[in-house]
Amino acid sequence: MRHAGVLIAVVLSLATLAAQGPPDISGFWELSFDSRRVSAANLAASVTPAMLAKQAEKDAQAIRWCNFLGLPMAMDSPRPINIRQGRREIIINFETVATPRHLYFRAAHADMSVFDPTTNGDSIARWDGDTLVVDTIGFDGAKGVTMIPGGGYRTSDAHLVERYRLVNDGTMLSVTFTWEDPNVFRTPHTYEFRYLRAPRLYEAQPPLPCNPFDEARAAFLAR
Amino acid sequence: MRVDVDGSGSFNSLAAKFPRAVLTPAGQAAAAEQAKRAAQPRFDFARDPSKPRAPGEGYVVTDGNCNLPGGVEPNSAAFHMVQSRDQVLIVRENPGLPRTIYMDARAHPDLSRVVPTAVGHSTGRYEAGALVVETIGLATGNVTAGGWRTPETRLTERYRLSADGRRLTITYTWEDPKVYVKPHTYQIVAERTPPGSWAFESWCDSSDPSQRLSIVPPAQNK
Repeated sequence: MRHAGVLIAVVLSLATLAAQGPPDISGFWELSFDSRRVSAANLAASVTPAMLAKQAEKDAQAIRWCNFLGLPMAMDSPRPINIRQGRREIIINFETVATPRHLYFRAAHADMSVFDPTTNGDSIARWDGDTLVVDTIGFDGAKGVTMIPGGGYRTSDAHLVERYRLVNDGTMLSVTFTWEDPNVFRTPHTYEFRYLRAPRLYEAQPPLPCNPFDEARAAFLAR
Repeated sequence: MRVDVDGSGSFNSLAAKFPRAVLTPAGQAAAAEQAKRAAQPRFDFARDPSKPRAPGEGYVVTDGNCNLPGGVEPNSAAFHMVQSRDQVLIVRENPGLPRTIYMDARAHPDLSRVVPTAVGHSTGRYEAGALVVETIGLATGNVTAGGWRTPETRLTERYRLSADGRRLTITYTWEDPKVYVKPHTYQIVAERTPPGSWAFESWCDSSDPSQRLSIVPPAQNK
């Protein structure tokens, strides 16, 4: 009898969850000094120190010339990121030099034979209970800043899976990032960021300025 | 995706058929001053304009900086709108500030606390099936069809979707007693992109010198 009661309670809670629909993760979200849990990546044996140095040089050039950052660096923005959840897609906008991300609620990726690779790739999203699962391919490995927290870098063969989940009564957004790329990682590389919800009346700001023709800035970066 | 069927085929720009703005004397003076500035060579200044352009010599048409200001109106690129509970976000496919439209009944900040930008400060509400957006705090500059704006100028936009959801009509109304004799109004029409479309990334690299050029005419056969 007691088991039947528990079962009814579980069924009722699931029904309530279904009636409420998926969570709404819309909001301005920001990282703090203790928001990142990143372990060292297990890099593939083919990734040599020379390759890492070459990639770091390319990233430095991208920063020097204010190129669009792309993933994963855009998600590590020093300013709040604006996540807006619609019925067909979620847009994530950044207050830094990066193009917006579009996470489409679709079952399949764009046809990669006609998709022009981008710094953010092609992202499709679905709900798995209270977790938003975002699957991204179609990266351009030659554009933007490619360094991945914990080691490694984004290539055109990279596959990223993100899991977004509200925690702490919706005041915090946990995002786990899992990168897979046989060119770079021996095993999938996972790390987690926990974003704090910005105050309700936060006002979006123009992006942090970046002037590629500022010679003093260029000299500072070259040091 | 902007369509503007009425203006298509016009070499005077898509806005050629829009009603022209009727400016006050002060508005006319400001717009004329801007037109004079715009006529100055801005990017090709090092070149001697009296010499004919050589075959293959491009026109320098931008300063090469990829951080573009954006604007309140859609341009030739597609734009994407997401309506969340307390905000509508509009982003273009090419560089520029996004439109952040607050739907939580907040008021505009005092103008003394606003840094004017190409998209200003926008608040919105729904009215009889239309999204109505009020904007102030726009950077001083030109407005479509001969208009002019300052941070004090108020822009009201009404976004109305067709019954079949395929077309979005946006009505722009600019008001400012210092600039306009009467409100300056025009409409643009956008068409929904087909299902399965995706946003393009408009790549721009300031380190590439050709980024500053228009299409470079190829060398001609003699």
